[in-house]
Amino acid sequence: MSALLQFLIAGLKNGAIYSLVALGFTIVYAATGAINFAQGEFFMLGGMLGVLLVNLGLPLPIALLLAVVGTAAIGALFEVLAIRPIADGDPLRIIMVTIGGSVLLRQIALHIFGPDEVPLPPFTQGTSIKVLGAAIELQTVWIWVLTAIAMVGLFLLYRRTAFGRAMRATAINREAARLVGIDTRFMVTASFALAAGLGAVAGLAVAPLTQTAFDVGAGIGVKGFSAAILGGLGNPVAAVGGGLILGMMESLTAGYINPLYKDAVALVVLLAVLFVRPQGLFGGSGREKV
Amino acid sequence: MSLLSVSNVTKRFGGLTAVDDVSFEVHTGTIKALIGPNGAGKSTLFNVITGFERMDTGSVVFGGSEIAQAKPRQVVRSGMARTFQNTQLFDSMTARENVMVGSQARQATGFAASAFRLPSARAEERVASDDAGRLLRMIGIHDWADTLASDLPAGIRRLVEIARALATQPKLLLLDEPAAGLNNTETHELVDTLYRVRDSGITVLVVEHDMGLVMEVSDEIVVLDRGRKIAEGPPRLIQKDPVVIAAYLGEEAVEDD
Amino acid sequence: MSWRTLRVAVPFVAAVAVAALPFVVSDTFLLKVFTYVGINVVVVVGLALLFGYAGQVSLGHSAFVGIGAYTCALATVRMHAPWPVAFAAAGIVAGAGGMVLALPSLRLRGHYLAMATLAFGELASLAFGEATPITGGVDGFSGIPFPSLGPLVIRSASGLYWLVWAVAGIALLIASSMVSLRPGRAMRALHGSELGAQACGVDVVGVKVRAFVISAVLAGLAGALYASVIGFISPSVFTVSASVTFLAMAVIGGTGSLAGPVLAAALLTLLTYLDALIPGISRQAAQTVQSLQADVYGLAIILVVLFAPGGIGAMWRRKSREGERA
Repeated sequence: MSALLQFLIAGLKNGAIYSLVALGFTIVYAATGAINFAQGEFFMLGGMLGVLLVNLGLPLPIALLLAVVGTAAIGALFEVLAIRPIADGDPLRIIMVTIGGSVLLRQIALHIFGPDEVPLPPFTQGTSIKVLGAAIELQTVWIWVLTAIAMVGLFLLYRRTAFGRAMRATAINREAARLVGIDTRFMVTASFALAAGLGAVAGLAVAPLTQTAFDVGAGIGVKGFSAAILGGLGNPVAAVGGGLILGMMESLTAGYINPLYKDAVALVVLLAVLFVRPQGLFGGSGREKV
Repeated sequence: MSLLSVSNVTKRFGGLTAVDDVSFEVHTGTIKALIGPNGAGKSTLFNVITGFERMDTGSVVFGGSEIAQAKPRQVVRSGMARTFQNTQLFDSMTARENVMVGSQARQATGFAASAFRLPSARAEERVASDDAGRLLRMIGIHDWADTLASDLPAGIRRLVEIARALATQPKLLLLDEPAAGLNNTETHELVDTLYRVRDSGITVLVVEHDMGLVMEVSDEIVVLDRGRKIAEGPPRLIQKDPVVIAAYLGEEAVEDD
Repeated sequence: MSWRTLRVAVPFVAAVAVAALPFVVSDTFLLKVFTYVGINVVVVVGLALLFGYAGQVSLGHSAFVGIGAYTCALATVRMHAPWPVAFAAAGIVAGAGGMVLALPSLRLRGHYLAMATLAFGELASLAFGEATPITGGVDGFSGIPFPSLGPLVIRSASGLYWLVWAVAGIALLIASSMVSLRPGRAMRALHGSELGAQACGVDVVGVKVRAFVISAVLAGLAGALYASVIGFISPSVFTVSASVTFLAMAVIGGTGSLAGPVLAAALLTLLTYLDALIPGISRQAAQTVQSLQADVYGLAIILVVLFAPGGIGAMWRRKSREGERA
């Protein structure tokens, strides 16, 4: 019983991380109609910037905040430099640019931070909490808290602010949004910044548990995308659901079948969803109209 | 004789009924026009007939067989070709190559025959190229044959798209606003082309906003308004139909706002 | 010289130069480098069809190279199959894998294929590394025999070079007749406008799937050549970053062209072996170039997509068009 509980906790922990990355995919997909292959690199950049700032002697909370803001700024800059010049907004070209961008961001990180894994200190020191015989590390609690804050914040932003309404309008119909006076180009930039910031939060939250390195982006990118498409691409609530379910499936597979298969779960899920139910678990009809 | 018969076709998008229980027939050898104010459901009806959209209920019988569930490719093979309101040319290809893609609809050689340049593939290539040249000449745009589609003026693009549709050797040609963006001279040339197409034995169904053109070329007109058929008949009767006039006046009143 | 003559002369001269290279180059290592160029050309010809003509992105082609390589290794070493049979099997197995992957993902609108191939690529490299009893795991698979045709074993550097380039040449010939005829037009058509292609009766899904399968077969054959030429394979070669390299070659080479991607494949492959090509170059300079290689791929993809969407191929076409008009 406590073993199962321990697996569920691990699943929810990883699942929360996947949810954040999946949200990043969803936000950019909504704004551009394209899959952002650089999403995983924002996760990596968040963690690496955090480590860098802590090593520079900044207090941890400030380092974390700056790392998130810095990654969001890099996301916005990437959009302005590389996505905005694509005047026709062709998703194929956007995808290609994000593929090139992910390679480039990873390489830049390699040149700056080196090839080694680096640690980030836990956000709070202390022993794990015991619940019904299962242990929950304090950092896991932090992951859940940060994920919850990010989600509530995103919800409020989307539902309660003029900015959020403008973003949603842009996502639903870019042309119509432009006609009613929304600066849709800025909204695309904002979506990249937001997606990058969410990725950075995830990368920072998990770094004290796993360490981080220049090449962690590709793996988490595929997992985050699996989560997004498992839920249903383009729907934020579904992305979170997909992340949590994927985390559970991974940890139950690792616990009860074979830890070797853990990393294969997300890949198999991704392929299976594409083949069997491309609109995702929570999506309506996946058919697009002509 | 009826070549195409559309019966009780309905198409909804969410809560909006774009096409509402529409029925009409197109007779062999005629030019029929489909008109109506903006948002009347003309393009949706076109998409449903040509297999680009699935209808919710109703039936479309073409040349004696039901094609309501057919895919665009099967519709083309059955002898129906179309153009689009926003021309859908292949920009990286020349006008001639665009038209040659149309001829491919009737060709049989596969990837393998082409890969090894079998005689059958080369023969088909010659036929397609000759056909394309002939069609471009018939439409009067042969001078543009070797120009990239991306470099063609808007009017010529429309005509190339018509030539491409004709290359599939259709029995029925569906044109979605062929005169949009054309100047006066080009519109006159289009009218000539339509007559030539009809005289070569191809039936035409055309969606068009240019009333002058519609009244001139069509043998019969169907009028749609907000998804429903509100009138059908020869041009001289449609022009006087109070229901049709009211529908169009309503549109003008809206546009004057 | 007119552009029309150039278009015939350039491939002819290139073919003669490629065939004559072993008579000029006596250095075995250098000849091996040019053999690797040929292997990459086989992969990139397929990707040129898939990306440059049909407009589809694959991030998993090194998985098909890997499938071909392991198929050839298993068939020759474990099943003692004659080499030509193993070589053919490599293409068939990779092509079948490509079909299984392409059929479902190409039915969807949008660019899901890119993600599906990325996942497939990662899954394949996990499998190559973990299925130790079959693949030899992370330690790799060694003792793969040289290519042979009946009693004739090809083991000399020049023999291997000619074999690889013969396959590359045949692949190029087949691809070039395909693109100049109906299938190539169909691919370019659906890349230009899917609606227009459908209205012309083009089987949009079918054409994309065929392009993908052909590219997977070529990748599989390239894998078999790689395994046979080197004699040893390991999972570290068949990674997603290798797939990105192949994609970069196709992108830089350009759309609607075979010569462009072939040229790009040659240049980018040679970049890896700079120290062998330029005798005087310092070791450090060569290493710097190698460490910046991925940066170059990434940046080049971005720059080409932003500023020269047609790549080398489109530039050449524009020049030759202007040349003809002048």
